[in-house]
Amino acid sequence: MSKLGIVSYGSYIPKYRISIEEIAKVWDDDPNEIISQLQVFSKSVPGPDEDVATMSVEAARNTISRWKGNPQDVGAIYVGSESHPYAVKPTATIVAAAIDAEKELTAADLEFACKAGTAGMQMCFGLVKSEMIKFGLAIGSDDSQAKPRDPLEYTAGAGSAAFLIGKERVVAELEGTYSITTDTPDFWRREGAVFPSHGNRFTGQPAYFQHTVDASKGLMEKLGTKPSDYNHVTFHQPNTKFPLTVAKMLGFTTDQIDISLICKNIGNAYSASSMLGLAHILNNSNPGDRIFMTSYGSGAGSDAFSFSITDEIEELKSYPLTVEHYLNNKEQINYGKYSRYKGILR
Amino acid sequence: MSKREVYIIGYGITKFGEHYELNPSSSASQALSKAIQDAKISKDLIQSLYFGSMVSNRNNQSYIGGKACRECNLNIPITKVDVGNASGAGAFHQAFIAIKSGLLECIAILGTEKLSDFVNSSTLEKILGGTIDYQWEFEQGATLTSLYAWMSQAHMKEFNTTMEQLASVPVKNHKNGVNNPIAQFRREISLKRFLSAKRISPPIGRFDPATHCDGSAAVIIASKEFVENHSEIERKVKVVGSAQSSDKISLHHRETLSSLLATQITSKKAYEMAQISSKDISIAEVHDSYPIGEILAIEDLGFFQKGEGGKATVEGKTQLNSDISINTSGGLKARGDPFGATGIAQIIEIVQQMRREADKRQVDDIKYGLTQNVMGTGASVLVHILSNMEDDK
Amino acid sequence: MEPPKIWRERREKYLALGILCQECKRKSFPITLYCPHCSSENISELKLAQTGKILHFTRVTQTAEELMLYAPYIIGLVELDDGIKVTGQITDTKLEDLTEGMKVRMVFRILSKNGEEGLIGYGFKFVLI
Ligand SMILES: [Zn+2]
Repeated sequence: MSKLGIVSYGSYIPKYRISIEEIAKVWDDDPNEIISQLQVFSKSVPGPDEDVATMSVEAARNTISRWKGNPQDVGAIYVGSESHPYAVKPTATIVAAAIDAEKELTAADLEFACKAGTAGMQMCFGLVKSEMIKFGLAIGSDDSQAKPRDPLEYTAGAGSAAFLIGKERVVAELEGTYSITTDTPDFWRREGAVFPSHGNRFTGQPAYFQHTVDASKGLMEKLGTKPSDYNHVTFHQPNTKFPLTVAKMLGFTTDQIDISLICKNIGNAYSASSMLGLAHILNNSNPGDRIFMTSYGSGAGSDAFSFSITDEIEELKSYPLTVEHYLNNKEQINYGKYSRYKGILR
Repeated sequence: MSKREVYIIGYGITKFGEHYELNPSSSASQALSKAIQDAKISKDLIQSLYFGSMVSNRNNQSYIGGKACRECNLNIPITKVDVGNASGAGAFHQAFIAIKSGLLECIAILGTEKLSDFVNSSTLEKILGGTIDYQWEFEQGATLTSLYAWMSQAHMKEFNTTMEQLASVPVKNHKNGVNNPIAQFRREISLKRFLSAKRISPPIGRFDPATHCDGSAAVIIASKEFVENHSEIERKVKVVGSAQSSDKISLHHRETLSSLLATQITSKKAYEMAQISSKDISIAEVHDSYPIGEILAIEDLGFFQKGEGGKATVEGKTQLNSDISINTSGGLKARGDPFGATGIAQIIEIVQQMRREADKRQVDDIKYGLTQNVMGTGASVLVHILSNMEDDK
Repeated sequence: MEPPKIWRERREKYLALGILCQECKRKSFPITLYCPHCSSENISELKLAQTGKILHFTRVTQTAEELMLYAPYIIGLVELDDGIKVTGQITDTKLEDLTEGMKVRMVFRILSKNGEEGLIGYGFKFVLI
């Protein structure tokens, strides 16, 4: 029987960065205190001509180009985001047209705070496994908004990651996936509201930590694996401290999680956060490696995944537009430019 | 070709500028009625009106010629000619053809525009986007100014044309404009001021583009037979050449950006019709909406060798009463540019010069005068040649 | 922009398509019903090269309302690696950082936005490689 798993991957991070210091200056906060709390130094900011659709398309195109396959074979596109450019009108259809996947496919936009992208991956795994489609493209993409002066402002970043799921030339075989879902109001944005609201410290223990730990433990229990079986792990990264803490709670080492920690430089990429970590890991993995991922989405839920890397990975690693490329391709901007690019200045 | 000769027997023009108090139709009828008075003929003899206007439809009255005719008590066929911002010369060309055809004897031609109503400059930029490739240039982000910037760059690169040479075009034209009573700007601007201005679209500076304004211009043209049969006509200027041609609308489809192919082709046709060469032209009104426009024009019309236009301008070879007097009116730059009216205003300047009514900007010993009106970046170009020579009878 | 126009132009604006004439074998941009070189109707769709070099560039400060959000921006004349020339913005850069001949890569960006409630126009722009 052929393997089921990730066939290709692609990422995108906008070029602009604003430093924690620059934001702290505006509010007379102590940047060192914030940096030591969050372990984040800067966050990514999309240019004025970027949004979730453009970032999704870039990640999707990188996925397709890296794969070198025919986009017409993509049977499903799901875009997970909490900042879709339209409230009504899918981002997924824009992506479909822009990668030339129209029109024999199913598509939808998903929303589950920061885990809508991994929910899309699960849907694609299901469709491919049941042979309803040949390939499915799951994208996590966000250009998250934060109210000025809200603690979120220090970390609300942007980026996008895409995974092509299929059964041919699989680079990361799916060993299992497992989810936890509860009705936990830790973070929300009402219809029509510009900025999200959150429960401050409530977002930690009963929300992020409980769900991430439960899903991770649950999957390992199901598969009979333990943290030391894995070479790399990625979690949702609302800041750098949370994934480090949860790794410790579960028994993963700093070495295992280190590669995934892109949050230090780009902040919280929301739906793309754990997925960008995974894309970065894949590009730094070797055949035989095992990889663990658990996303977290407020509201709340976690999706855990276990992957095993195949020989096919070597083929894809040479593609130039990697997470690393985008991490290095950056330009610092000041708070004024940031306000303009984010549309806070009108 | 038809041997029937065509004459300009009268003209009327409003002051160019910002006329907030004036209705579009009032501006148009003012020029029209002045032209009829100037021709000294009974208005009932005018058989048709051709009018050129690019923007009138945006003021909710696309058929502005109709209102102007009512205000002037004319009940004649009215036709709008649209060649974008060269609609004035476009209307003239069509009227010329109508007389040449032998079907009409006497026609009024009107160019009119009312641009001061568009207080938001984004609106006019979008309208001008229609003169370039709207889908693949304008919507991609290009504007008329940015495309002229590329043409300037191409010329600078290929012929070492300098910023000083480019700036000497508007310096000269503003100097000429001082003496033109209908010009929007009747003051000199120094070379230093042009050169030190902010580069809005490098190498184009803030003061380089011609200003979009209000204005109307009209002429009455008639056949030779008509002129001979109406002794009340006192002054006439012969139209010996009228031509139009086009080029690819998008710059990305052109072989070169350092020449306007349409100007080269159109002028060749016009010279052939007039049976003269570029050497015979003593005065020309050319489309200097940007400094590079005039440099391209004086080269592509054959007045100077390709690449020598900038040098010739800085050396004063195009100033009043020099080798060839270019834009004695002040050009689009100093006179102001009410798109559809500009082409007619250019022709009127030559008529005034030939009738020796140009006062302090008068050029001596004019044999032939030429006008060149450009749409967009040269997608369409019109050239007219007027003669001051005595009829060989 | 109006819905029918966005819909009609989506493929050529998103994917940057031209045509390849099956008669004279010449490429051209944009999509037309007839080959602009030989007038043949026997044409096929062509995906343009995704990289190229800058021939000309300048800044745009004043433009239509729906593009003003992004101004000032850089507009360039780009010669793609397949020889086709196109007009497009060079985004994520500044005038001072550009020189003629620089290599660029096509990206997908917002071209225009119709106010707060209208449709968003997407299309291709370029970034420096
Ligand atoms: Zn052909």
